Amino acid sequence: MPRVEVGERLRRLLAMLPWLAARGGASTAELAQRFGISEPEVVSMLELAACCGLPPYTPDQLMELIVSDGWVEARLGPHLSRPRRLTPAEGFTLAASARAILAVPGADPGGALARALAKLDGVLGTRVDVGLDEPPLLELVRQAAGRGQSLRIEYYSASRDEVSTRQVDAWNVFARDGHWYLDGWCHLAGGRRLFRVDRVREARVVDQAEDPHPAPGPSSRDVPETFVPGPETRLVTIETGPGGRWVAESYPTEEVEELPGGRLRVTLGVGGRAWLERLLLRLGPDARVLDPAELRDVGKEAAARLLARYR
Amino acid sequence: MVGEVERVDRLERLTDLVLVLLDTRRPLTLAEIAGSVVGYPEGEQACRQAFERDKRLLREEGIVVSVEPLPGQPGQVGYCIRPDDYYLPDLGLTEDEQAALNLALAGVHLDQGAGQGALLKLGGMERDGPAALAALPSLPQLPTVHQAIRDHAVLAFDYRGRRRVIDPWAVAFRRGWWYLVGHDREVAERRTYRVDRMSTVELAGPPGSATSPEAFDPGALLDEGPWRMGQEEAGVARVLVDAVLASDVEGYLGSEAVVERHPDGSVVVEMEVANVGAFRSFVLGLLDHATVLGPEPLRAAVVDWLAAMVGGWRAGATG
Repeated sequence: MPRVEVGERLRRLLAMLPWLAARGGASTAELAQRFGISEPEVVSMLELAACCGLPPYTPDQLMELIVSDGWVEARLGPHLSRPRRLTPAEGFTLAASARAILAVPGADPGGALARALAKLDGVLGTRVDVGLDEPPLLELVRQAAGRGQSLRIEYYSASRDEVSTRQVDAWNVFARDGHWYLDGWCHLAGGRRLFRVDRVREARVVDQAEDPHPAPGPSSRDVPETFVPGPETRLVTIETGPGGRWVAESYPTEEVEELPGGRLRVTLGVGGRAWLERLLLRLGPDARVLDPAELRDVGKEAAARLLARYR
Repeated sequence: MVGEVERVDRLERLTDLVLVLLDTRRPLTLAEIAGSVVGYPEGEQACRQAFERDKRLLREEGIVVSVEPLPGQPGQVGYCIRPDDYYLPDLGLTEDEQAALNLALAGVHLDQGAGQGALLKLGGMERDGPAALAALPSLPQLPTVHQAIRDHAVLAFDYRGRRRVIDPWAVAFRRGWWYLVGHDREVAERRTYRVDRMSTVELAGPPGSATSPEAFDPGALLDEGPWRMGQEEAGVARVLVDAVLASDVEGYLGSEAVVERHPDGSVVVEMEVANVGAFRSFVLGLLDHATVLGPEPLRAAVVDWLAAMVGGWRAGATG
């Protein structure tokens, strides 16, 4: 796909030139690293740009780009020495990302990022607001992960509807889709687990276990998926009416089939009985489990149990 | 290797084209462009085709080539790139502010393509940033919603089976969802919409066609919880929560919602309800750990729902 490639190259070239122009010169190594291309590619793009210019192509109208010994000297005309406008998607992503970082408890409301965002808002005129949870134990858990410590936590598992005490070697803490998670090694489960920080009841730093599991290598730059089907996950197929279509939007699904009348047949991974009960109670009488057969009455039984509290 | 040579030539031609179209003070005809930019083929037809392809590629890269009528030449058009369409307005960022923005883009996973595009335009990025700290859902509707807010343009979209025409005020992320707050022109009221449930989203007016209040805090509105987002006047619910989930619920609703604390660790919380369905979902999500004490209509809303479930499944029971 040469067309995609030339667009990608143009994007990088038009980003690189203003950055160069503002500095007058830079090493090809730094350009390669900053703009995500190889050094030979940097050189070939700049040599090509050096041939560009405006008629009548007198030297003062050419872009002056001298590449030698891994260093680029640049004197560019006025046209390509200023950065390009952000697209709506870029402007939104920039403003929302900055807001998200500022929403992290403990962020400096008067720091460089806050000042940058104020300037950005002034120019882009955007009103983006990002709110992240502030669970009471977030600070403690983040600190432990930052120091590679081990925590003893009392944890409420929503999928099993039970409280347990466990020791966790804290690796990383991150927010995904509105919740904070602790990523680490759980000595009770004997494996890597994610814990919702707002469901951690008590936490205190404890001595490392006899068999500590520190974070494996430099942590990945990616934020992990919070729902990873494990050995306890079962696939459940549910049929629901138009009022329950949110299921397909809210959870990772294996399969979604449209039925007549706006109804849906959805197959999704279920981590525990309590989780399935919660889903079915919210969907109400218009939804039912089709498969597996032994889970068909889960919703009805949960409803009867809860109803008994009102009688 | 022929392909290689051709590709390099096209990048040069495109860069030249951008330069020439930025430099001109008046729209240029295709013939003038072909005379200034090296690399267009001979023959009007071939030249036109090559130029149209370049123009399309520039548009895909976010560079708007304006097509304008030529004065004194009816039916003829010329081309230029308007500086306002091309250049980022001067943000006046200091080095550390610039670096902080770059770090924010690297630390948040949202829209990877757009994030990378913004990062490039703001001067690229050292590779070894910190691990990502947060991930927010990326939705195809968001750029258009954002553009409408930025430009004060009327926004239209389909939502729950009806076309809405909105003066958009703000977009906000709460509890895992993106929300749009705005003024619905048909019902003449402020409304809140889940962005992921909007479809066929488009600008329905030019910049400046929409109004929004000067001082307005979307956060304060959205922090209230989904059971407050509605038009039903269902009163203040009293809910008993047992010791297992008392602290979770208190953390979620805030301590001011707690009106009674019992020796066994359970609490009674009060919730003002404007959306009965959302309230019911919240309470049922607490399973055996919560009971609605009153008022009667809200208690009945939960009890009737549970009774219907015990009565057995029937299609269309809740529409």
